[in-house]
Amino acid sequence: MSEPVGDAKLEVKQASKEVKESENVAEKYSAMTVSKNSEMNMGELSTVFSAVPTHKPVKKQIQFVEDKQEFSRFPTKTGRRSLSRSISQSSTDSYSSAASYTDSSDDETSPRDKTQVNTKGSSDFCVKNIKQAEFGRREIEIAEQDMSALISLRKRAQSEKPLAGAKIVGCTHITAQTAVLIETLVALGAQCRWTACNIYSTQNEVAAALSEMGVAVFAWKGESEDDFWWCIDRCVNTEGWQPNMILDDGGDLTHWMYKKYPNVFKKIRGIVEESVTGVHRLYQLSKAGKLCVPAMNVNDSVTKQKFDNLYCCRESILDGLKRTTDVMFGGKQVVVCGYGEVGKGCCAALKALGAIVYVTEIDPICALQACMDGFRVVKLNEVIRQVDVIITCTGNKNVVTRDQLDRMKNGSIVCNMGHSNTEIDVASLRTPELTWERVRSQVDHVIWPDGKRVILLAEGRLLNLSCSTVPTFVLSITATTQALALIELYNAPEGRYKQDVYLLPKKMDEYVASLHLATFDAHLTELSDEQAKYLGLNKNGPFKPNYYRY
Amino acid sequence: MSVQVVAAKMAEVELKDVPTGKDLAAESPVTPTSEGKNLARNDPHEAGSSAATSPAAEPSAKAGEGSLGLLTPNPAKMPQASAMKRTDPQQNGGEAFVNRDGTVAEAPRMKKIQFADQKQEFNKRPSKIGRRSLSRSISQSSTDSYSSAASYTDSSDDETSPRDKQQKNSKGNGDFCIKNIKQADFGRREIEIAEQEMPALMALRKRAQGEKPLAGAKVVGCTHITAQTAVLMETLSALGAQCRWAACNIYSTQNEVAAALAEGGFSVFAWKGESEDDFWWCIDRCVNVEGWQPNMILDDGGDLTHWIYKKYPNMFKKIKGIVEESVTGVHRLYQLSKAGKLCVPAMNVNDSVTKQKFDNLYCCRESILDGLKRTTDVMFGGKQVVVCGYGEVGKGCCAALKAMGSIVYVTEIDPICALQACMDGFRLVKLNEVIRQVDIVITCTGNKNVVVREYLDRMKNGCIVCNMGHSNTEIDVASLRTPELTWERVRSQVDHVIWPDGKRIVLLAEGRLLNLSCSTVPTFVLSITATTQALALIELYNAPEGRYKQDVYLLPKKMDEYVASLHLPTFDAHLTELTDEQAKYLGLNKNGPFKPNYYRY
Repeated sequence: MSEPVGDAKLEVKQASKEVKESENVAEKYSAMTVSKNSEMNMGELSTVFSAVPTHKPVKKQIQFVEDKQEFSRFPTKTGRRSLSRSISQSSTDSYSSAASYTDSSDDETSPRDKTQVNTKGSSDFCVKNIKQAEFGRREIEIAEQDMSALISLRKRAQSEKPLAGAKIVGCTHITAQTAVLIETLVALGAQCRWTACNIYSTQNEVAAALSEMGVAVFAWKGESEDDFWWCIDRCVNTEGWQPNMILDDGGDLTHWMYKKYPNVFKKIRGIVEESVTGVHRLYQLSKAGKLCVPAMNVNDSVTKQKFDNLYCCRESILDGLKRTTDVMFGGKQVVVCGYGEVGKGCCAALKALGAIVYVTEIDPICALQACMDGFRVVKLNEVIRQVDVIITCTGNKNVVTRDQLDRMKNGSIVCNMGHSNTEIDVASLRTPELTWERVRSQVDHVIWPDGKRVILLAEGRLLNLSCSTVPTFVLSITATTQALALIELYNAPEGRYKQDVYLLPKKMDEYVASLHLATFDAHLTELSDEQAKYLGLNKNGPFKPNYYRY
Repeated sequence: MSVQVVAAKMAEVELKDVPTGKDLAAESPVTPTSEGKNLARNDPHEAGSSAATSPAAEPSAKAGEGSLGLLTPNPAKMPQASAMKRTDPQQNGGEAFVNRDGTVAEAPRMKKIQFADQKQEFNKRPSKIGRRSLSRSISQSSTDSYSSAASYTDSSDDETSPRDKQQKNSKGNGDFCIKNIKQADFGRREIEIAEQEMPALMALRKRAQGEKPLAGAKVVGCTHITAQTAVLMETLSALGAQCRWAACNIYSTQNEVAAALAEGGFSVFAWKGESEDDFWWCIDRCVNVEGWQPNMILDDGGDLTHWIYKKYPNMFKKIKGIVEESVTGVHRLYQLSKAGKLCVPAMNVNDSVTKQKFDNLYCCRESILDGLKRTTDVMFGGKQVVVCGYGEVGKGCCAALKAMGSIVYVTEIDPICALQACMDGFRLVKLNEVIRQVDIVITCTGNKNVVVREYLDRMKNGCIVCNMGHSNTEIDVASLRTPELTWERVRSQVDHVIWPDGKRIVLLAEGRLLNLSCSTVPTFVLSITATTQALALIELYNAPEGRYKQDVYLLPKKMDEYVASLHLPTFDAHLTELTDEQAKYLGLNKNGPFKPNYYRY
């Protein structure tokens, strides 16, 4: 791990602020404390750059972006899994949405120094190259296919324009999926100004397409730290336009406005925050009594959580392992460490393919669940010699230690689905007697003196982010949740939301789900009046009490 | 209903949940329906059972330990809870009865089939119910299972009321009142069988025996008196407690078990087939005894608590706490608490995570197959099945059926659950879209009239219709009682309803709960409940002054986890322990609790 670049330092500064956490938040997040430095994997940054294709249509080329993804992580306490943010970050990492294939390295001029005008004569944006708009449009159209919920939201709500008059300033990853969200917001009547929450994640051509459409976008791939804040500032600080809504991912935008333009908050109706980090910051603000507008935590909505963890990981465990190792699962012995949402997903998928699955757990309730689902609950030591695949999803550190790695059998595969890069003690493998052999991207063979090989995936970082895609459908859930949160906050009657952090109302959560049902040609049953009365429910929901576990 | 309060409170702690305001509007006050009243014979005991599922359920989710401190009634929040409340005339409690009798009827030794509908009605009490009042029903149903053949030692020739008999156990003690002390040996055998499947309690005896955590506890209990309860009582006794026990249900007592307990020195007042007067007499005998005052109450349905409140309010000065298992009883406690009349801490064990999962998901996953097989001998492979409702019960049913190779369709009203069904690979349909083609219809919605006559008319010949959900409201059975339809009882719990054109529909348990009527409740599930009760007693009894105020609490998450951990050896499951370093990294205590209260499991 080489020294993080400038930006990362900045993050560290921010992080240190966050680490003084409030009791409240501490309680909530007490489950997971992430050590400050855990995420600073900047080692391969240079490789990353060289991996970026210099010529356009190299879609097929695989990019290894996991470093970028780690880059902007805040070393701070996170919730169970920081997947929420990670996933949105990873949207650019997927093989499918080949980010920035239109980049041309011959153009070294900083976008800040360029004067560009879109076809309508507007120049209120700052992107790499406005001429890439058409490529971007194509990306956006592809994304729209899998984001039918937002599209149907456009249709359903277009006539009433629930966001008419809303002036939204946003700071998220700028990808095709975000573009669909932004254009939906515009279709619903909002004015948007946007910037990137990550200096590497921007798809330049998508930014161009958005600019061409008249959205003021300030973002390009490979911003410097200075650029990053400059972009945010340009977004907020503009003559004759004051935002009244904030859509944030990570809390940087909110932070900047608090520092620089506290007066703007007088007009702000609410903040919608997606990431674990950002939510954490908001709770701190709230606890310190400094939160002066209502904020909506969309990270913890039921639908989003289920998709970020259970459903997404259920697919990506197979995808990730297949892509990297071409392993066949049938009859293989697999041990899954941890039986939370991620572990449940992994186990279900592996079981379905005929693997023999063992589970390790520390929590007796989850352990009992594993038993009742038909998995043997073991200690790792008991099966370590016999298993073919080891998957960690505990959120803990040093779950697989050198001692255990030493005892694994030849050819066993080790990977991490859980959290950051702490679960497998990879550092302990960097000793002189072991030979590392990179056989494919993300695949290392670690060879013991006696010739035994252990296959380590993604160097112990998250397999699902490094080696598999995040389906647009999952991002669609997130984007729809964000859009509904904005609508809810913007249209809430005076007094419904105080200066505090709220969860998305269950009714909205249910609406997000219902918008995605069409994809499955699912036909929801409606309560009759009589039945609704019997149950004491409103026919349109919410259908469950807040404590319901799903 | 402060239940909700709990939940709401918890929610507030960290995450402000928005809907509160809205919910207020939606809530409808729940009141006993007139129908219910008619049915009710004003009998407190069984009645309770059916009642208030809803409130109980709420707190569980968020509760855990957090709730401990937080349980302050907050009227504003209550409405949220109400969402799940129903006004429901029919109670599960009633169901249980049916089963009991029905099953008993089928037990090998008693060939006579009884249709115990009347009895079932007997105890019904009009009151609120939640989603499923399974919690209590299950405990009731313990006696219904084929395996635990209740009262096979009954001899009808002995018509003397136990109240008029003078009996003494072999030690010369006569402080009990049961059917026949001579049946003790039979009962002992039943208890020993139950012990096999209740390893957690046995482990608890071993682990806690040295320290006697209940030394000095005087527990007065009112539960079903079955072999499983006997194991619980003997565990309490082994832990140092003195116990006096009465039955919470006039039919559920296993006489031979009661005899075995009396022989073992427990003061038991219960027999199968008590009259209402007997019922309260037994409770009174339990409580009102010279030179002995209880300091703990273990209740199932709230009748005992009620009685003590009415008759011996002074007794509460010495009571350290109440442990309540049933939905109804919990509901009553929350009402007391809300009215400010609760003067001791009470523990709601109904809503612990472990218990809930076993009562619903795991239990129903097995009983759907068991119930259908026993009644119809149907083969599941390739059959088209529609499951109405994808809550915990629906999830269990679907998983089981899918595993058997059935083609499963799901109907849902809640989009979130609907999306879960989609992601689990089930086609989400409306019932009328598939009604003509399916072979089996299973309801588990908790709603009423989910399957109406119109659908029944359109089903194909031989279609099986059954209810796993709630009471007997889901299938509109009344609509089938028309002259043109012929009913033919082909087996116990199985009716063929024949249309004029010859089409037959197979209706199971007359639309009552299949899992209670036609399948067993595994002792393992009851073991979870009993262990939870035991730990709740220990917790309340040993809690330092001030930990529990005069309010209703959920079992602390740590205890909930302990219940689970005690059951792990059954599966030869080896729990991993955190290292010190890892515990520090996670900010957790090595011994738990491991999850925040809002965790969904």
